[in-house]
Amino acid sequence: MNKNIAVKVENLHIVYKALEKTSIKKSLFKLTKKDVVEAVNGISFEIEEGKILGIIGKNGSGKSTMLRAIAGIFSPDKGAINLYNNSVSLLSIGVGFNKKLTGYENIYLSGMLLGFSEDEIKKKEKEIIDFADIGDFIFKPVKTYSSGMYSKLAFAITAILETDIMLIDEVLSVGDAQFKKKSYEKMKELISNDKRTVIIVSHNTSTLMELCDEVLWMHNGKQKMLGKPKEVLAKYEEFMSK
Amino acid sequence: MKKFFFNLKKYYKYAIRSAKAELKSEISGSYLNWLWWVIEPLCFMLIYTFVFTVVFTAKEQYFPVFVFFGLTCWEFFNRMIKGSVTLISSNRDLVSKVYIPKYILLLSKSFTYFFKFLISFALAFILLLFFKVPLSLNILYVFIIIPLLYVVSFGIGLILMHFGVYLDDLKNLTNIVLRAVFYLSGVFYNINLRLKGALKYFLLRVNPIAFIMSEMRKVTVYAKMPSFEGILVWFAIGIILCIIGIHIINKNENSYAKVI
Repeated sequence: MNKNIAVKVENLHIVYKALEKTSIKKSLFKLTKKDVVEAVNGISFEIEEGKILGIIGKNGSGKSTMLRAIAGIFSPDKGAINLYNNSVSLLSIGVGFNKKLTGYENIYLSGMLLGFSEDEIKKKEKEIIDFADIGDFIFKPVKTYSSGMYSKLAFAITAILETDIMLIDEVLSVGDAQFKKKSYEKMKELISNDKRTVIIVSHNTSTLMELCDEVLWMHNGKQKMLGKPKEVLAKYEEFMSK
Repeated sequence: MKKFFFNLKKYYKYAIRSAKAELKSEISGSYLNWLWWVIEPLCFMLIYTFVFTVVFTAKEQYFPVFVFFGLTCWEFFNRMIKGSVTLISSNRDLVSKVYIPKYILLLSKSFTYFFKFLISFALAFILLLFFKVPLSLNILYVFIIIPLLYVVSFGIGLILMHFGVYLDDLKNLTNIVLRAVFYLSGVFYNINLRLKGALKYFLLRVNPIAFIMSEMRKVTVYAKMPSFEGILVWFAIGIILCIIGIHIINKNENSYAKVI
């Protein structure tokens, strides 16, 4: 069988150090040492194309930080991330929205920010509007939206403009019960595409059990376990219930 | 540098669209709509003209036109500098959620400022005709001076944008410096006439905005030739500043998200 690796992370280290905001006064008069926090400490893994990796761990264990590094928002302090030229997006809600403008205009604004061209968005425009299902509000300023409508539109944009690698921070549950079901179905459909590689961060073991091919358990920035969801999640639950 | 042009190609459409979006959202709530872009510079010009002709009895020829050209250049420069210092932290949401080359943010911002500059410049030009200022073909040199203004402001802006991420009070400092530069640039007086000797040469040589303003007025209000030597030197400096700024940002932009 031909194995195509889509994501390769090698010995990844990310450090939060003396990069805090500072004032001129502070940097002149305060020469104390600053704390160094190793948010991600020596993580390595590979994902084959089309597979789904789940990441689990308690709050503050560096999951989101790592996800953002893979999305290219941070650069690693040590180690390497190789995406083999796949396009990547961090599924996050309402990036680059301008609340005074209409939802329609925001589709383009947000989409282009995610790296899509105007034409690509034009092609998907109808699909996005249909999926968001907010009626005429699409032509009204976003600031008039209810928070549910806002999330629906934002989800529709990120879900329909697809990339090769999707990074999902907490499986999104937005909108009313009906939309929640719809978005979960859409998410599953997106995820189960053979070509698409997905990394999901979640606290929900049952979701990860259902969706993932492999699970990585992170603890305080370190790699605690990597393997089949069944084994890892069982150990994780045992650990957490202590 | 190669990376810069690649990103420029990839993102310039986004920069334009987001600039348009910002301009649109700026006026979407107001009654007078886009008229504000005309009223605002016009009122500032009237205020300065009143204060300096009535209160301080300025003697410069065609004073309102003189002030307007200066003010137009100054406002662009001022906005670029002020905007760039806080640019990253005011786009916190965006910076922490997607990757975008950070100079694209400044580029987009500069488009909105440049648009306002063009309106103001058009008004200045109308004023030029209104006061029947004698014109010459030298006025065509504005097409060299405007790019110069842009390049210099962009270069300084890039560098300030980088340091603005780490230094929280850089914006207070720039406000003070900008105020000083404002009074030392001759927005409402003619450096060439009012100042003498070393100070005049110093200001016109070291302060880019004073130089640009003075050149701008030379070719418009006074229908003279600009000083090509100075323009060339400042172009070179501006481009070097841009290259340095792009280089710094390329190297550091990935850690911005950690700071803010």
